[in-house]
Amino acid sequence: MRNKILTVDDSKTVRIIVRKAFKPFDCDILEAANGVEGLAVAGKETPDLILLDITMPVMDGVEMLTKLKADPALKSIPVIMLTAEGGRDNVLKIAKIGVRDYIVKPFKEDVLIEKAGRIIDLKPLTDGPAKARSILDPIDVLIIEDKPAIVQQIQEGLKHTPWKFRGVNTTGEAIDSCHRQVPDVILVSLSLPEESAFTLFRLLRANIKTKYTPIFGMVVKTDTTAQQQAQTVGFTGVITKPIEMTDIEGKVVKALNLDTSLRYFTSEQEFFIMRLPEPCSTLVLSEVATYLKVKVAEAVDRGINRAIIDIHELRGLNMNVIKLLFQAMQTYKELAMQFALVGNHQIISECKGFEDTRNWTFYETMEQAKASLAAGVSAAVAVPA
Amino acid sequence: MITQISEDMIRGSITRAVQDVFKTMLHHDVVFAGASSSLNPDEGAPPLVVTESVPQVVGTVGFIGEANGLIYLYISDEFARRLTGEMLGMTPEEVAAGGDEVVNDAIGEITNMTVGGFKNALCDTGFPCKLTITSILRGSNFSVEPISSATRYNFSVEPISSATRYIFHFNCAGYRLVSDILMKIGD
Repeated sequence: MRNKILTVDDSKTVRIIVRKAFKPFDCDILEAANGVEGLAVAGKETPDLILLDITMPVMDGVEMLTKLKADPALKSIPVIMLTAEGGRDNVLKIAKIGVRDYIVKPFKEDVLIEKAGRIIDLKPLTDGPAKARSILDPIDVLIIEDKPAIVQQIQEGLKHTPWKFRGVNTTGEAIDSCHRQVPDVILVSLSLPEESAFTLFRLLRANIKTKYTPIFGMVVKTDTTAQQQAQTVGFTGVITKPIEMTDIEGKVVKALNLDTSLRYFTSEQEFFIMRLPEPCSTLVLSEVATYLKVKVAEAVDRGINRAIIDIHELRGLNMNVIKLLFQAMQTYKELAMQFALVGNHQIISECKGFEDTRNWTFYETMEQAKASLAAGVSAAVAVPA
Repeated sequence: MITQISEDMIRGSITRAVQDVFKTMLHHDVVFAGASSSLNPDEGAPPLVVTESVPQVVGTVGFIGEANGLIYLYISDEFARRLTGEMLGMTPEEVAAGGDEVVNDAIGEITNMTVGGFKNALCDTGFPCKLTITSILRGSNFSVEPISSATRYNFSVEPISSATRYIFHFNCAGYRLVSDILMKIGD
């Protein structure tokens, strides 16, 4: 459910600034111009947070706060004072009535968001699935690790990705780095001195900007205590050492919900290409199957009616691969697409050995497949019903 | 216990307040550009005439308590419109479409924050006081007179009797800001 934030201020300017500050977050802003209106809106809407000015006509903020705290139905609503009325004694007197925080104007929007984010769960508004990031985006990865070899290993192991890596040695540097630019994902060594990875985790989760940033702990496989501790406190996941790059890549892709379809589906000129990589794991096959119909439909929608299935990278076939290939061919047939297969000698030879695949016609290169489709020749393939 | 506030302290407090508000809310640097006078009105301070022909938007906020006073913040209409746009993220056209009301409210809030900063410093010095509600004056060729004067322009404002008056000028983004402070300590 969306959070409701009530801003009570006689200045429309402040109410606009508040509305603007919270715009990137999933919340509704309610407005009132004085204490009387504020109490009425609070009673009707029961907001999750009230931002309250003091100097206002009709009823000032102190009176509204006092009445709010005297009302059993409203007294638990957290209040942040947002006012030009400061001075140590004033602040102390008002704090005693019961406020969660006190911001003296002038104020920075960041400070307001940070303080509000400590009280209510402010979720950033996310883009729709159509705008979701893909594996081709330059994902910003912050690595907090006091062993430079590990940072180097990750950078080297994932250099085939367009991801950008920032390596820092300490949690202090990590905080500065996050302050300068919030990373997309954080990898932190759980073996940093004095359990500082866990302290850092708490600090990052308390900050509205990094509250939802995926954080992975990195620890030696045998250190199950640290792994359990990380899972208990709420780390997004744990990456064990020795590090397997596919493990990091897979976990980051999943945590950021990256669109991986571009690994398997592309369009070249007027051809739609489905390409299976080696190794072709169950996970890969499952991803391809998930995207298949949508991607083919998108291609047809763009006016593409020729497809190539490229499996030349595969070292061998298995039933799961064959099943997926049949599924792809069936999809092309349903949409009246012409298609051709590209494979290597091993694949072609293995296909001859199966009853259902022995009639498949393969081309050895993409160029041959394209030329064949351009000439109007489609693969003569019998697709089982 | 402090019983009086020096002009230096007044100047320092208002300068910090103006700079803080303009930097935090508008990302502008403000530079102190001089003081006009600090005469007791009973001794006959001249009326403040900011600029003869440039339309002004003047925000006013008072403070009452152990220290009492009024502060006028003079901003030219042109600069006021620009500040409004910057503060609210509006284009000049949007500000124009919003009319004087939008500008008045924005300048009112800038004045409220500025006077708040000034009077909070007074509070922490041992003169507890509270802010009053903001009001706005608009026009050109007008003055604020410390006592009844022979020269009257469009209108005048009668300040607190026996108050001390401080007029400070500031430069900001090529414009002139003026703060006119009328205050007295105690009842």
